[in-house]
Amino acid sequence: MKRGAGMSRAHWALLLVALSLCALSVCILQGTTGSAPPGVERAQLRWFGVGALVALVASQVEYHTLKRLTPAFYVANLGALALVLLIGKRVNGSQRWLDFGGFTVQPSELAKVGLVLALASWIEATPRPRGYTFTDLVPIAVLLGLPMFLVFQEPDLGHTLMLFFIGASMMSAERLRRKTAVGGMILGLVGMPLAWLFVLKRYQKERILTLIDGQVDHLGAGWHSRQSEVAVGSGGLLGKGHGLGSQVAGGFLPENHTDFVFAKLAEEWGLLGAALTLALYLALILSILYTAYTARDRFGSLLCLGVAAMVFWHVVMNVGMVLNMLPVKGVTLPLMSYGGSSVVTTCLGLGLVLNVHAQRHVF
Amino acid sequence: MPDYLSPGQDAHHRRLARFALCVTLVFGALVARLGYLQTARHDELSAVAADNYTKEERLYAERGTIYDRHGRVLATNRPAFDLFVTPRDVRDVGALVEALTPVLDLDKLGQIELRELLDTREPYARRTPTRVARDLDKERVTLAEAAGERFGGVSLEVKRQRTYPQGSLGAHVVGYLGYPSAQDVRERGLVSGEMVGRFGVERLYDGALRGAHGYQRFVVDTHGRRATAPWAAQASQRVGALHEPTPGADLRLTIDARVQEIAYNAMEGYESGAVVVMDPLTGELLALVSKPTFDPNIWSGRLTAAAKREVDENPYNPLLDKSVKSYFPGSLYKIVTAVAAMEEGVLDPEQPIDSPGAYEYGNRVFHCHKRSGHGRVDLNGAMAASADVYFYKLGEKMGIDTLALYGKQFGFGELMLGLNGESSGVVPTRSYHERHSPGGFQHGLSLSSAIGQGAVRTSPLQMAVAFSALANHGVVYRPQLLLETRQLETPQGEARAQTHDPEVMWRLPSAPPHIHRVRRALERAVNDPKLATGYRAAVPMGRVAGKTGTAQVKSLARGARDGQGELRWEHQDHAWFAAFAPYEAPRLTVVVFLEHGGSGGKEAAPVARKIFEAFHQEIEPIFDAQSPLDLPYARLP
Repeated sequence: MKRGAGMSRAHWALLLVALSLCALSVCILQGTTGSAPPGVERAQLRWFGVGALVALVASQVEYHTLKRLTPAFYVANLGALALVLLIGKRVNGSQRWLDFGGFTVQPSELAKVGLVLALASWIEATPRPRGYTFTDLVPIAVLLGLPMFLVFQEPDLGHTLMLFFIGASMMSAERLRRKTAVGGMILGLVGMPLAWLFVLKRYQKERILTLIDGQVDHLGAGWHSRQSEVAVGSGGLLGKGHGLGSQVAGGFLPENHTDFVFAKLAEEWGLLGAALTLALYLALILSILYTAYTARDRFGSLLCLGVAAMVFWHVVMNVGMVLNMLPVKGVTLPLMSYGGSSVVTTCLGLGLVLNVHAQRHVF
Repeated sequence: MPDYLSPGQDAHHRRLARFALCVTLVFGALVARLGYLQTARHDELSAVAADNYTKEERLYAERGTIYDRHGRVLATNRPAFDLFVTPRDVRDVGALVEALTPVLDLDKLGQIELRELLDTREPYARRTPTRVARDLDKERVTLAEAAGERFGGVSLEVKRQRTYPQGSLGAHVVGYLGYPSAQDVRERGLVSGEMVGRFGVERLYDGALRGAHGYQRFVVDTHGRRATAPWAAQASQRVGALHEPTPGADLRLTIDARVQEIAYNAMEGYESGAVVVMDPLTGELLALVSKPTFDPNIWSGRLTAAAKREVDENPYNPLLDKSVKSYFPGSLYKIVTAVAAMEEGVLDPEQPIDSPGAYEYGNRVFHCHKRSGHGRVDLNGAMAASADVYFYKLGEKMGIDTLALYGKQFGFGELMLGLNGESSGVVPTRSYHERHSPGGFQHGLSLSSAIGQGAVRTSPLQMAVAFSALANHGVVYRPQLLLETRQLETPQGEARAQTHDPEVMWRLPSAPPHIHRVRRALERAVNDPKLATGYRAAVPMGRVAGKTGTAQVKSLARGARDGQGELRWEHQDHAWFAAFAPYEAPRLTVVVFLEHGGSGGKEAAPVARKIFEAFHQEIEPIFDAQSPLDLPYARLP
């Protein structure tokens, strides 16, 4: 194992931003009431410990070993996703968790990292300097489509879309033939109505319709979105004060320690706290993209881009949902939402980014 | 291509930069939306948040008490205890059923039903209190409380129950309460579940009696439970706490419960009718009776099917207030004809006029109630004997429209109080008949109107106003029910009392001598030794002035009238008697109306006499006052 010179191997800016977000998470989770189990902030702290270990390992694994392990990791992921469909734990009508006697794991979270690694290594292995054609895209579509299909069966529309967006973002750094690009666009335009008609379930359509239709159905599908919007809006500039948000503390907005933690933040800490948090996320993503920029090879660069896309789409979908802009889909806010699978996955991604950063000068 | 040689490095970097730019723009959009919600829509969404956690509990205003003129309670509120059981909290079902058996008067079946209720498995029913009894008396409340302490699951709810200590006496005038209809809730802003006045004074002055609700607001969590956490303490500053209710006003009526009782008892033996007792010098109503009556205690929200059926099946319609509904007045209306004829100059009251048993007019014969006729009589004689032909002739001379003009001056055709669906009656005119009568207007109708038949309809209340106007020499008072309103100004009990003065509607425009001449004729109608049809109303202590009326309801061949006893009740004549006394300085106007009661002289006049006598003996010795005979009218109001 080759090593660079001392401290320059660590990505200090990224670490600082990530640790700030972790600290923020523990702070906002402290004193959560309602649907959350008591002491949720301590549980989250433990998950951050686990996440730090995972990140440490991921950052120290030898670079070529990482590439070698990619196919195995990807296949193991597919296996886990299939297992979920067979023996998964059913919660709220969907089967997303594997129960390991006491704690549960959500394989669709880890599947994102598996996908990023697989795509990065495939694209590097088959360079298309003159641009991708449809035929070139077929194996990529298969790599992307397999986990998407399995996740959609759970059903988990949020993560299905998430996988697609991560894949699309990574491909956005590649060159497409003009014909392919135009063809893909047409395919998308035709595909969307077909998906609406034959793929989406009734409740999924309702959520989307609620958003398009405005706030017609406050007690039905739109109830969560509406209560979240109310929480954010009533927070105002400086917020209601820590632990004093009537929407979250009064139980009007459930899930305020997981999916809707940003609503709690906006309600209690106001525009000031919420905008600052968004700024931290932007800094995190940009510093990952900077790592992609300085990576020593295509694999490392695409790996970082994939992790950046993962964090980015998580933030957009989660915050978009909290601000009542996007349909509710059970997507977590990375590092902020309480939950082991989400925290560990994000830490794994960040560990890989640190690895790429440490190897940037090594050839 | 350099793109290929240095594996697309530059283009790859350009695309990464483009991605970073997109990311930054999207974050800009998120922050913009965040700022929009938290600034521009902050107030609106804060209000929604407040709506979420604010619960308002209504504080009911105590309904005002209704008193009679001497402070006797006619309607008030008392606490009523309703019994509830909550299955979840019961520790021993069998023992509780046993303990509640004497409280609820349970039979075997009732015990089984209660046990079933308490043994339910359905979670909602288990935690929800179910009402098992309403309005328990004190003894049962004690028993139920003891049972609850031993076996659990029993709760009592106190509410205010309207109660009428006088019972059915004066039920029509005091009225009763009922639950508001969906329409009331929508249109009058009433609260569903809270009773409102449905009848009588309870309805007429409902606004004053009801007062205004207050409310108490507090902070609740999403389950509707009262919240005390720090967030709630902060939120409660926004909510505001308490708004005291304004209690309803207490009303003191002009009604005298004892006079009411006297009037009611005087009607004994008659199934259906009304009595109005009025002070002719103020228009104050001392009694307003309608028969048959009902018990407002039952009608105010505790109506059972059996009680309702009993009232519904009563052929005499107990829920109709007959004192304000209009009927043919018959000969009582002759006071109008007499005043009108003198005013119009077509009658010399001292000049005898021939009044035979029948009068031929056009192609019709108008009969007198006395087939042999009365011979030549002056006004005194005509009024005393109720000679119909005398008045037919006056009606013929004046015509229906002139007669109507004077009828209206007496207050006929006018709404007096708006009480209990009061009817304004009919003072027919030529155009009225052209619009409403099947055959249009015929001149003969002037004749029948002159004796209070045809289409004339008046209510006993209007009749009391008209006779009071004669009694007091020409002042038409609006009948008055409300003597005093007492409104609590502060919750500590400082009250503001407002007394209500008599209201003069107008004065009769007729010349005082003409009015007085009719008064004299009315005195004769009671006291003339030979002719008086109203002699049964005469009292030994003094002089009553009044008029009998026997209003024909169904036109029958004259010959059939002798067998009146065999007529169906609803085809019999209305019996009326209206009078004031003492004649010299009137203190009391009494109108007796017996629906299909037969002859006014035989049936109604004795009822009036009983009232005058009992009033004189039990209430106030009105006939003893030192009053000059025939007090000069000029000195009276």
